[in-house]
Amino acid sequence: MRRVRLAIPAAVGACALVTVAPALGGTETRHGEVWFVRDGEPVAVSRTAPALPGLLRALLAGPTRVERAKGLRSAIPAGTDVRELTIARRIVTVDLGGRFAAGRDEESLTARVGQLVRTFRAVPGVAGVRIRVEGGVPVGLFPGYDLRRTIRAPLVSQSAPSLRDTQQLLADLGFMAQAGVTGRPGDETSVAVLAFEKWTGMPRDGVLGAAVLEALARATRPEPVRREPGKRVELLLDRQLALAIVNDRVERVFHISSGSDGRTPSGSFHVYRKERLSWSVPFSVWMPWASYFTGGIAFHEYSYVPAYPASHGCVRMMARDAPLMYAFATTGTPVDVLRGRA
Amino acid sequence: MRRRRLRRVRNRRAVLVIAVCAIASAPLAAQAAQSPTPPGAASAGPPASLVVALGLRDPSLDAGVVRGGEVVLARGFEVELARLLARRLGARVERFVELRPAVRLVAGGAPSWQLALGGLEPSPRVRAAGALSDPYLTTDMAVVLRRHLPRPRSIADLRGHVLCAVRRSNEARTIATVVRPKAPPLLATGLDRLREQLRTGACDVALVPAVDTGRFLRGHRSELGPAVGRIPNGRGVVIAVARGGGLGVTAVNAALQRMRNDGTLGRLARAWLGLDPASLRVLR
Repeated sequence: MRRVRLAIPAAVGACALVTVAPALGGTETRHGEVWFVRDGEPVAVSRTAPALPGLLRALLAGPTRVERAKGLRSAIPAGTDVRELTIARRIVTVDLGGRFAAGRDEESLTARVGQLVRTFRAVPGVAGVRIRVEGGVPVGLFPGYDLRRTIRAPLVSQSAPSLRDTQQLLADLGFMAQAGVTGRPGDETSVAVLAFEKWTGMPRDGVLGAAVLEALARATRPEPVRREPGKRVELLLDRQLALAIVNDRVERVFHISSGSDGRTPSGSFHVYRKERLSWSVPFSVWMPWASYFTGGIAFHEYSYVPAYPASHGCVRMMARDAPLMYAFATTGTPVDVLRGRA
Repeated sequence: MRRRRLRRVRNRRAVLVIAVCAIASAPLAAQAAQSPTPPGAASAGPPASLVVALGLRDPSLDAGVVRGGEVVLARGFEVELARLLARRLGARVERFVELRPAVRLVAGGAPSWQLALGGLEPSPRVRAAGALSDPYLTTDMAVVLRRHLPRPRSIADLRGHVLCAVRRSNEARTIATVVRPKAPPLLATGLDRLREQLRTGACDVALVPAVDTGRFLRGHRSELGPAVGRIPNGRGVVIAVARGGGLGVTAVNAALQRMRNDGTLGRLARAWLGLDPASLRVLR
């Protein structure tokens, strides 16, 4: 009985080798890639294995101990067996045991099909993959894949958004205007990223790097520090941000630079004077789009708005943002200047 | 020598004829195999075993491996529902078969199953088939809020907010015809983008199919607000009961009602869909 049990997989393996051999260079040892996942992202590792069945066995065996220590995982359940592996017209058909469909985690179910497809498609000459389970066609079991058809490419990872997608996210979160969603890089995107970094407490470099993308993928809209109805502005000196708020909803987050050495006073004020083009007598400089809220301190446009407090007390804003704040902060609009989050 | 050659030719012809016959009769044999009389159809009482047709749409509702028209490794809400329902009817599920496409239900002729669960809504076409059960799943729309938004008590409370839904969906139509918000709604390309719009606060309130709400929120509960209610649309997903299959729709309805009353349906929904849509408060 035991001999029979051993003979069946051996026969299946031999048949598979025989069927695959003519198309893929026989049973000679070949270098190939098998695909695993790390933090939900596909990762290839190299393997030396005898032809396609060998690569499949290596894939099903999962990552080595060293690879596991590096965070690599396989979404394919341990103990998944191969019932049959054939190739015809450059299409690999693999029939796996029922364990391949085990579990209810949709992400894992999708990832394991991706691992198979990537591993086979990395073999020169393979144009597509047909996946069968227990000799039948899986329907609805693997979200995102229609396994009635030949799979020619794995699903593209959702965690690699385009620049336009990222700009749209920044606009949705209130860090840039919808008009800035162009799909093209530019200073508007950099300033929005800088504002986002300030809000989340990340290093302030304005660069759309992996850390920013990761944080954006889970970010929620900024919340005001205080809860008050109506239209108002919160100036967060620690974060160097100004929040335009309507009925407790942050409409826009602006990158600003306030007074160095604590020269911008904290407290609750109101916009009391507005000048389209204001002349600063003590510093002999024009200040476009000025909204004064206490003494000679105003929101205004300035050519240089660094990521740190740099002014003589006023609130410097980018040329694109200053007119928006000017329009928003009408005379009488409350302005809460806060040193830190309450 | 000549006789031997003749015999060989005759043998070849015979093999050829047998092969042709076999090929010609194969579809008939397959047809016969695929459309057996439903078990228990001929008997007078309720059948002891049932053949259940599934729509096979997604892993939460119903999915499986199709092998020659039969579904193996079947799983999902509707699969479990069918098994429990059969037990309540004093029967067991003998096998699952594929219902593809669902409109085959009304195509006429004797079906090869007794119960069909495939996301069937009682549209005029499906209703023409006759034996449809009471709904076992609502097709209402769930109202999901962004974080920190106060809970609405009625549909009128939603009108001052920015609403969003998937483009060209029933939910988008409901926003336009039932909610009628003051601000134009945001229409997303899919549920992932819709979730993103709600998370980022680009919209305040999302309308999501109630059945999908559990999955919409799964893994994102800290980024989104709660599902606070549902807007009814007066429809639901029903079971088709084959005529002449030995089962009465009254018995099916009674069993469904018992499962609803003792909380079995709710437990199944929470286990497979992540949330029982019927547990959401109705907003009017």
